[in-house]
Amino acid sequence: MYIGIDVGGTFTDIALNRDDGSNIVLHKLPTTPDAPERAIISGLREMLEEHGLAAAAVRRIAHGTTVGTNALIQRRCGKVAVVTSQGFRDLLEIGRQTRPRVYDMHLDFPAPLVDRHLRIEVPQRRLADGTARIALDEEAVRRAGATLAAEAVDCVVVCFLHSYAYPEDENRTAAILRQALPAGVRVLTSASVYPEFREYERFSTAVLNAALITTLTSYLERLTDGVAALGITAEVKISQSSGGLMSVKMARELPVRASLSGPAAGVQGALRRATEAGFLNIITLDVGGTSADVALLRGGRPVEVSERDLAGFPVRIPAMDVNAVGAGGGSIAWIDRSGLLKVGPQSAGAVPGPACYNLGGTEATVTDANVFLGRLNAEALLGGKMPIRSDLSAACIDSLARKLGVTTDAAALGIVNVACARMVKAIRAISVERGHSPRDFVLFVYGGAGPLHATDVARDLGIGRIVVPPNPGILCAEGAMNAPLSVEFVRTILAPLDAGNAGVLREASAVLGRQVEEWFAREEVPAAQRRTAWTVGARYVGQNYELTLPLELSLDDRAMAADMAEKFHAAHETSYGFAARSEPIQIVNLAVKALGMLEIADLPQFEPAEPGLPRELRETLFAGTTRVSTPVFDREALTPGHVIVGPAIIEQMDTTVLVFPGDSCAVDRWGNLVIDVRETVR
Amino acid sequence: MSMTGIDAELLRNAMSSIADEMYIALMKSSYSTNIKERRDHSTALFDARGRVVVQGESMPLHLASMLGLVEVVLEKFGCDALKPGDMFLSNDPYVGRGSHLPDVAMAAPVFRDGELVMFVCNIAHHADIGGMAPGSMAGGMTEIYQEGLRIPPIRLFDAGRLQQGVMDLILLNVRVPEERLGDYNAQIAANQLGVRRCEALIDRWGKERIAEGCDEIVAAVARRFRAAIAELKDGAYEFEDIVDDDGLSRRNIRIRLRITVRGEEIEFDFDGTDPQVEGNNNVTMAGLQAACLYSLKVLLDPECPQNHGLLDPVTIRAPAGSVVNASFPAASAARAQTGQRIVDVIFGALAPACPDRIIAAGNGANTSAAFFGKAPDGRYYVYLETLGGGAGGRAYKDGTDGVQVHMTNTSNLPIEALETEYPLMVERYELVPDTGGAGRFRGGLSIRRDYRALGHATTFSGQGERFVNPPWGLFGGQPGGTGRFAVIGDDGTETRLANKPSALRVGPDAVISVVTPGAGGYGPPSDRDPLAVADDARSGKFSEGYLVQHYGSDYSSS
Repeated sequence: MYIGIDVGGTFTDIALNRDDGSNIVLHKLPTTPDAPERAIISGLREMLEEHGLAAAAVRRIAHGTTVGTNALIQRRCGKVAVVTSQGFRDLLEIGRQTRPRVYDMHLDFPAPLVDRHLRIEVPQRRLADGTARIALDEEAVRRAGATLAAEAVDCVVVCFLHSYAYPEDENRTAAILRQALPAGVRVLTSASVYPEFREYERFSTAVLNAALITTLTSYLERLTDGVAALGITAEVKISQSSGGLMSVKMARELPVRASLSGPAAGVQGALRRATEAGFLNIITLDVGGTSADVALLRGGRPVEVSERDLAGFPVRIPAMDVNAVGAGGGSIAWIDRSGLLKVGPQSAGAVPGPACYNLGGTEATVTDANVFLGRLNAEALLGGKMPIRSDLSAACIDSLARKLGVTTDAAALGIVNVACARMVKAIRAISVERGHSPRDFVLFVYGGAGPLHATDVARDLGIGRIVVPPNPGILCAEGAMNAPLSVEFVRTILAPLDAGNAGVLREASAVLGRQVEEWFAREEVPAAQRRTAWTVGARYVGQNYELTLPLELSLDDRAMAADMAEKFHAAHETSYGFAARSEPIQIVNLAVKALGMLEIADLPQFEPAEPGLPRELRETLFAGTTRVSTPVFDREALTPGHVIVGPAIIEQMDTTVLVFPGDSCAVDRWGNLVIDVRETVR
Repeated sequence: MSMTGIDAELLRNAMSSIADEMYIALMKSSYSTNIKERRDHSTALFDARGRVVVQGESMPLHLASMLGLVEVVLEKFGCDALKPGDMFLSNDPYVGRGSHLPDVAMAAPVFRDGELVMFVCNIAHHADIGGMAPGSMAGGMTEIYQEGLRIPPIRLFDAGRLQQGVMDLILLNVRVPEERLGDYNAQIAANQLGVRRCEALIDRWGKERIAEGCDEIVAAVARRFRAAIAELKDGAYEFEDIVDDDGLSRRNIRIRLRITVRGEEIEFDFDGTDPQVEGNNNVTMAGLQAACLYSLKVLLDPECPQNHGLLDPVTIRAPAGSVVNASFPAASAARAQTGQRIVDVIFGALAPACPDRIIAAGNGANTSAAFFGKAPDGRYYVYLETLGGGAGGRAYKDGTDGVQVHMTNTSNLPIEALETEYPLMVERYELVPDTGGAGRFRGGLSIRRDYRALGHATTFSGQGERFVNPPWGLFGGQPGGTGRFAVIGDDGTETRLANKPSALRVGPDAVISVVTPGAGGYGPPSDRDPLAVADDARSGKFSEGYLVQHYGSDYSSS
């Protein structure tokens, strides 16, 4: 029995796979923001009781959380101090000396997490080649320790220039500070959190990690205690922003790696489902209440990036390349002062929600438009739990239509189309703009509002096939449940790519290899479950962006260099449209990703059955001005082998699927809906 | 038939996707750091009449050059002479409506059934365009001929055929031609990509609908900008400010402005501004237009899309031959320095018209430091960077410390990258205490960055403004600190340099110290929250002496 948990802003989702081939058990309950473990623990208890399951049979609980992100945004995190090289205490404050947006004089990056008087300089300075230009003044470090001991800080971060390559001074300083500070104060070095060059990003990542340590450690204690109290003996694993899992032990050291894990777990879930069903090239579209998250997976592998943003600060952690846009079911439609129709980024959220929820919302949302068009159920949603007032949708869309000078139908279609246009733009940014044609991909759709908009989005991008998993509303929880343990180690190299430098790479790989072995041992990964993948970051000399390439350490020096050069030119061609074959290449870093494969349950399969019949017919507007009579199916009525030709609507508790006239929808044996979209020109 | 607000928004989305794609393609495949890292480039889509309809992410200073680009092509060649597969090139501020020579613009028409439907364009700042000094940006030149190669609007592609002679002529006149060719190819490829995408767009929408849609998208921006201007109080507003010098012969150069707001329309009149200068900080009409439109947009409607509609309610007058509307053959490479100051002058004038949105003067410059030398290992290097400073105090919060302001927003290079690639060491990079003018909301602090050329002598050139005339405060706020360039000897003695030093030999192992200007405060210091003053003291951003002087000797006890 395996459990996956996703704590979102509105709902806490729990998915449970009994591993006996039966359906996955779902549970959804409101998030308890002040103490997220409360919803988790009570949800688990309810689930076990309701289905008569034994706590002892749980083999793993995996958990994605935004606790850290929320703590940072609300500044409910630990008090952090910094000890840094002389002349650079303002580095964390100046950052990249830019404004978030050129045309906004009022928007600032957030104030540093460390107050200026808690950033202390000590005489110390190394150059890029390791020369100690100013030797570390240990006496000054001791004085800094004494000063900080009086400030009651939770954590001190040592941030020296060029420590990614020469960590000795940071380590020595940390050792002195540990002696000078009270036992409870944690001391970290920037290179221990992220040993890469580019000082601002490294320092920022280390400070974020330090700020999260106190908050996340106490949360994890409350959570694991609560889980143990239920009689569950299995260890809790924490989702990372790379989509992989980590132990609670590792999460206590590197809480920053858990920070962007929600959407990554969703992509991980999509990856498993899509791969199993035979789709290796997919674009994921996850549409929720306020935003749409999109990602691209090629050859069954997600694209990873390390440059991300956490609560307004740069953070360098391995993360899935997920692009978000503020367009979801709750996004509000409005007319700007030039008279053009806009949708989002403001969202009606869960409260007051769309007008049709009758909870006080008065502005037309995407959901209202879908209700008005007959695409969403006009009586109730969420399997009947949420009553709908379609007259309220009609009223607010009608007032928008009058301002636009169009019919109410046209306005409702317009709202849906503008929202879809924004999703299309987000997908173009991760596909077309990176050298991939969407036509070569399948659109894998989830989130409550995803399957309603998939066809419009797919058609605009020239995508021919859409896949909707059995439980689109709970894929993040499922993704956490099925992920492997993972970790990445990296070293900055900054050397020309040639056979003469292969030794440098091999030396670095020996160091990283030892770190990997230690990690496998610490995480108790059995030998047969260990996987490693080596990559190098490379660029043409003088460029500022790196491309990541697989590294074949088994080749001899000359062949290895030639292989890397060839792969680099090819990757450059794909990404940027050209390769400069005579230009020298520079290796920026060497990285290794280690996976500890965990036991995972099989995905349940469905048996073919008698074709189900539509529950009702509904007048639905797909395009133009004429409503068509559309059969509405319950999702449970559709079983493998079924093929429906649109128009059709398929309803289930957590989503509504739209099949456009002429498109066909088949059910595969994992219960996925596979929709083939006819190509049309508008 | 006109287009609804729904279809216009859908078309605008599709068009801006194309402009964005061109922008990214150009950034990623170019060679100049200016483009790939500082993102000193822009892309846009035009209608058949030569109006900008949609702009990609863009440098504010490029806006006006875009606005004039296709117009000059149409004026010079005439609509009938354009053919599918043509592409045009231009950079001249005087005959091509550019703003300085390194910005090279390219435009390509898009046809359907023999009919001209749209144009795609891009502008990119090249690392070199020839002229007397490497980089084509150095001071000390007095006419545009010395600054680089002047290119009028010319045909680079004729019906799909590259005019090799034109390309050869350009490449013969620029430094490191192989790299520059890479940049030209990147620009050409971005336009060709844009043309293909536009053709697909026309397939979907039809050329008539595109034309209607472009009309509506431009009209929508005009309506929106008019509504924004209407929020300003009607009246006439005046202001003047003084530019330090031109680096050669002139000091204290005056910029005068009178703004008249009448309903939905606004007029800028720079009558009384000093004549153009011998140095290279002259602004041409395109740069002036860019500064005026930037100021209005950022004050009144930051989210407003940019296209020709912005010009609709705006009139700009400036004496020909003045420093803000320079005539041939004035040098203009450093037009950004004066451009930043024009924004300050506009803000100064409009302060009483929108006191809640205005901010006090910021560092008002684009402080730049360039190093050229031969490293101890024998390699030659050129390194240029621009530095931020203080941002002005706002009506409801302090100005930002150590940041780029207004028309520039370029990032610094990581010190660890700089020290790995160049024989330079950064000795300190810090905020300068007492440089944010006191006020109810204080100005932002300036930046100090000290460089040491390790084991060799280097040649230093710099551009500094507000090194003499400080950034002013508003409504009783105090002025911020001025900047300076200096050389610091081994014994710590500081020798102040000129404000715009050109090719100064320094070293070996000497320290070049750059201090940028701070920013003015907003509102009287006596209104400052005592808790904020206490924080000014605790953070060490202000000295006790400064706080006592501006907030009284009992500042800490209140």
